[in-house]
Amino acid sequence: MSEQVVDCRGMSCPGPVLKAKEIIEGGSVASLCVLVDNRAARENVGRFLSRMGYKTEFEEEQGGFTVRATREESASACESLEGTENPDTRDKVAVVVGTDTMGKGDDTLGRKLIKNFIATLKEMAPELWRIILLNGGVKLAVEGAESLSELQSLERNGVTILVCGTCLDHFRILDKKQVGETTNMLDVVTAMQMADKVISVM
Amino acid sequence: MIGRETSDDAGVYRLTDDMALVQTIDFITPVVNDPYDFGRIAAANSLSDVYAMGGRPLTAMNVVCFPVQTMDKAVLREILRGGLDVVHEAGAVLVGGHSVEDPEIKYGLSVTGVVRPDRVIANSGVKPGDALILTKPLGTGVLATAIKAGLLSEQAQRRAVEVMATLNRKAAEIMSGYPVNGCTDVTGFGLLGHALEMARGSKVAIALFVGEVPLLPEALDSARMGLVPGGSFSNRSFCSRHVLGAERIDPVLLDLLADAQTSGGLLISLPGDLAASFLSDLLAGGVAYAAIIGRAGGADKGTIELR
Repeated sequence: MSEQVVDCRGMSCPGPVLKAKEIIEGGSVASLCVLVDNRAARENVGRFLSRMGYKTEFEEEQGGFTVRATREESASACESLEGTENPDTRDKVAVVVGTDTMGKGDDTLGRKLIKNFIATLKEMAPELWRIILLNGGVKLAVEGAESLSELQSLERNGVTILVCGTCLDHFRILDKKQVGETTNMLDVVTAMQMADKVISVM
Repeated sequence: MIGRETSDDAGVYRLTDDMALVQTIDFITPVVNDPYDFGRIAAANSLSDVYAMGGRPLTAMNVVCFPVQTMDKAVLREILRGGLDVVHEAGAVLVGGHSVEDPEIKYGLSVTGVVRPDRVIANSGVKPGDALILTKPLGTGVLATAIKAGLLSEQAQRRAVEVMATLNRKAAEIMSGYPVNGCTDVTGFGLLGHALEMARGSKVAIALFVGEVPLLPEALDSARMGLVPGGSFSNRSFCSRHVLGAERIDPVLLDLLADAQTSGGLLISLPGDLAASFLSDLLAGGVAYAAIIGRAGGADKGTIELR
């Protein structure tokens, strides 16, 4: 929950309403302060925010108006705005990495490429949701791996990293894993199903 | 016969004892996204002033502002095609036009029509005992704002477009068979503003039956969402001094009564005992939203009472 101030002075209708809409749809906003410079915008923004379940107050100052809106703590407040319960409407991208070398032809080159690939994945943010490491891909998550620090950094930024336990066990590196959650095939399948987009590197 | 002094819809100039010229010009900025639809709406809006005077349009000329350098000329062609279709639908002929380079699109028509001098219908002839009939639903200003905001369903957009692109021709033709005392088309000043003009010009009091006023179905909801155009708010405050009973009305409904209309309907005043038969003729003629929405009362300086 956060408080936000929006300056809509100089905007004509429906501009200020759209701006307010964009902000409250962008996340959970407890209180909002909208500055407008005309009476029509004051009325429209006030109306819109009370419709969206906010309690509104108005102040008139020289050359403008301030609409102060505070979220009312009632369940019904959320009902009118679709998607309020899940403000995160971004696509969820799952990246499945099933190898520690990218492409065919030269494995030394492939290892350089996969390192570069992992390092560049952050450009997908904020859509990047989960990284699933399978088969040779689990070798990227253990101590000494060149991609380890990049994966740790992605994890700190909220990306969930799932590392296949069966695979770690197969390569006998279960105790060397330094990033992500050790997981099973059910988690992998569920993650693939929940994702809006699955990108596989095999 | 009618000039600048009586905020009327068009100028009227007598040519002979049985023929007068009706002249009007109007052009607007886009109210919908589709250029063809915008052309139809702008043309219907311009032609409406001739119908409101009791006249018949003969010729029209395009008035165009368009960013020729930066925008695809196909857009302009579509606008003009929409306009031409409506000019033909009105039984008029497009005889020319003029265009100007402008960053903002504007389109409309200069229209010339004819009317019999003894059949000119001004907005100032309303008599006590008259009934007032409105031929189109209100709410196009609010819905145009909702379209601009991208908050109106496809179906609601279609309905608003068709209402705005509909000519007032049929209503005007039916009106010509009745002894009508006053008429205006409802446009930028909203129903309240235009009714007030009629009341003041005719020195009568007009009572509006708020519950009877036809509204586009999505208009109330959009007004509650905060999608009322600035012009409609100005209308409301401009009229407030001369409007009685406003405090009893839902403010959102009041905004719709003041909502600035594009190509709105005719507001027609005729003797009360003829209202029912006139209304049934309008409905039978396909003027589907027509309704009796008010009554003119005794001598007054010109006020509106909301009931």
